[in-house]
Amino acid sequence: MAKEPILSAKDVEIQFSLRGKILKAIRRCSLDLYEGETLAIVGESGSGKSVFTKSFLGMLDANGSITGGTIMYEGTDISKYTAEKDWLTIRGKKISMVMQDPMTSLNPLKKIGKQIQESIELNQGIKGEAARKLAIEMLKKVGIPDAERRANQYPHEFSGGMRQRVVIAIAVACRPQILICDEPTTALDVTIQAQILDLIRALQRELNMTVIYITHDLGVVANVADRVAVMYAGQIVEYGMVNEIFYDAWHPYTWALLSSLPQLGVKGEDLPTIDGTPPNLFYEVKGDAFAPRNQQALAIDFEEEPPFFDVSETHKAKTWYLDPRAPKIEQPASIKKLREQMRK
Amino acid sequence: MPEREKLIEIKDLQITFGSGRKKFVAVDHVNIDIYKGETFSLVGESGSGKTTIGRAITRINPVSAGEILFKGRRISGKISKELDLEVIKKCQMIFQDPMASLNERAKVDYIISEGLINHHLYKDEDDRKRKVEYALREVGLLPEFASRFPHEFSGGQRQRIGIARALIMEPEFVVADEPISALDVSIRAQVLNLLNRLKVSRGLTYLFIAHDLSVVRFISDRIAVIHKGRIVELAEAEELFLHPLHPYTKALLSAVPIPDPEMEKKKQLVVYDPSVHDYSTDKPVWEEILPGHFIYGNKKELEQYRREIQA
Repeated sequence: MAKEPILSAKDVEIQFSLRGKILKAIRRCSLDLYEGETLAIVGESGSGKSVFTKSFLGMLDANGSITGGTIMYEGTDISKYTAEKDWLTIRGKKISMVMQDPMTSLNPLKKIGKQIQESIELNQGIKGEAARKLAIEMLKKVGIPDAERRANQYPHEFSGGMRQRVVIAIAVACRPQILICDEPTTALDVTIQAQILDLIRALQRELNMTVIYITHDLGVVANVADRVAVMYAGQIVEYGMVNEIFYDAWHPYTWALLSSLPQLGVKGEDLPTIDGTPPNLFYEVKGDAFAPRNQQALAIDFEEEPPFFDVSETHKAKTWYLDPRAPKIEQPASIKKLREQMRK
Repeated sequence: MPEREKLIEIKDLQITFGSGRKKFVAVDHVNIDIYKGETFSLVGESGSGKTTIGRAITRINPVSAGEILFKGRRISGKISKELDLEVIKKCQMIFQDPMASLNERAKVDYIISEGLINHHLYKDEDDRKRKVEYALREVGLLPEFASRFPHEFSGGQRQRIGIARALIMEPEFVVADEPISALDVSIRAQVLNLLNRLKVSRGLTYLFIAHDLSVVRFISDRIAVIHKGRIVELAEAEELFLHPLHPYTKALLSAVPIPDPEMEKKKQLVVYDPSVHDYSTDKPVWEEILPGHFIYGNKKELEQYRREIQA
């Protein structure tokens, strides 16, 4: 792509120290983010998708730190920031985040309006009545009826979907350039989920934001994403345009994820499952991290870590299957089925 | 179709919480038959009363009107001690959140055999140990896990412990209350496969409670859609997906994200507006509009649904 990325993470490494041991949560992970796009990051719990994006805002837990690589944003390497003061110029203003659980991400002791106002006062320097007006406007913007009255209520008076709207209002109040949504709808009902996804999409268009979705629901990915990155054991293993990932995936982990979907299951037959567990990141991973769970793993998968191979200009996969020297390996039947569905 | 054995019959069920001015009707006029050996799913959004129905069958929530029959015998309201014990044994429940539903301070051995201990359903210590071991093996865990604590397990393994705990009582009927909603994608498939395998090997009947229609289609034989405590539509799984009639069912179906970007982007979202129903003069009924396909509506609506079927 000719476009310049607005945020570019290169070979990022993140470590946590737990009980005297070092856990490598992110292992040389790279990602480019382009303006106005919607990128979805998928992977199972513990794959590091939240940790990776949290490092863009300096929100890692106290025992974690970025130990390698660069994150370039607006000409500076923000991975080198250590002081909270530096992060405050970015967090909430340029990049902000919507958390998974609307039940716990609001302060139960403060009125809704006040909580939005707080974020505006802190980040935009508008104070008092003017900030309050802006807060009410934000509430209207995220589709909360009767905003003046609702602003005077406490979080417990709001339903789950309404609370998530409030959280979104706080996140976008300062018109950030990048919005990171960490499983924004997992705690919500399907009908509410559809509404929230629509809301985020509308706000994205209106405020010209770039959105990163973190999710494990591939249905949501299909709905919102322009580009998809698949994460496994602290690394991005495959990325590409949404159609390329769904219809022409090449990494065995992406295959496994797609084919274990109940939507593709045939009644009366077992669903394909991913056996085993992800590798323990306290130890050094040798070769392809997914190899021990992959029944069709090649000998080299256990020896050497694969580089990224190009499938197309926008689609890259980190697997030896794409090496010209590798034996011919066919995509599994379920992936072909998905592709045939598209042709129809 | 030959007459199938009805395992659970729910007749005009009503469940209320609170009393007087604060009375809240959570479930009203629910009529369901669950046949032996089938997976019956109850789908609806949170607060629709689907869990309440499941809990009423296992006698956790009291019933305020109507009755529930298990193998033709009434199990709601006041029943004899023997029947109560039988219901406890034969109707078991699997809970949604495997992180919250296991006693953190008890070993797996105790968690699984608690039901046996409470009702003295084992001959001696050896017999109990054997039963625990068998239950663990059946859900794909190792017998040595019995001496561990719940925090040593992953989400999927914990849910298996929850299933083992239900199985050890040798139930015939299992209420699975959103058993996979809290699990990761890759583990969901494993737990669904396990439930399906147990259904065959143990001859179980499931009441599967969920809000995610996509999962339900794969696992269930029949599906009932519940809205605000009322069942609005009931049909065979495929029939419901191919010919949804009630506007709420349509809205629910359209809200489910499909893991297919082409289809998903073309999809039209249907929003359900309860005010389309005008029930002021024309009272709605629960009618079998096609064999096995039930729907809740008044005369005018039923006629419209019939036209839809013909079209």
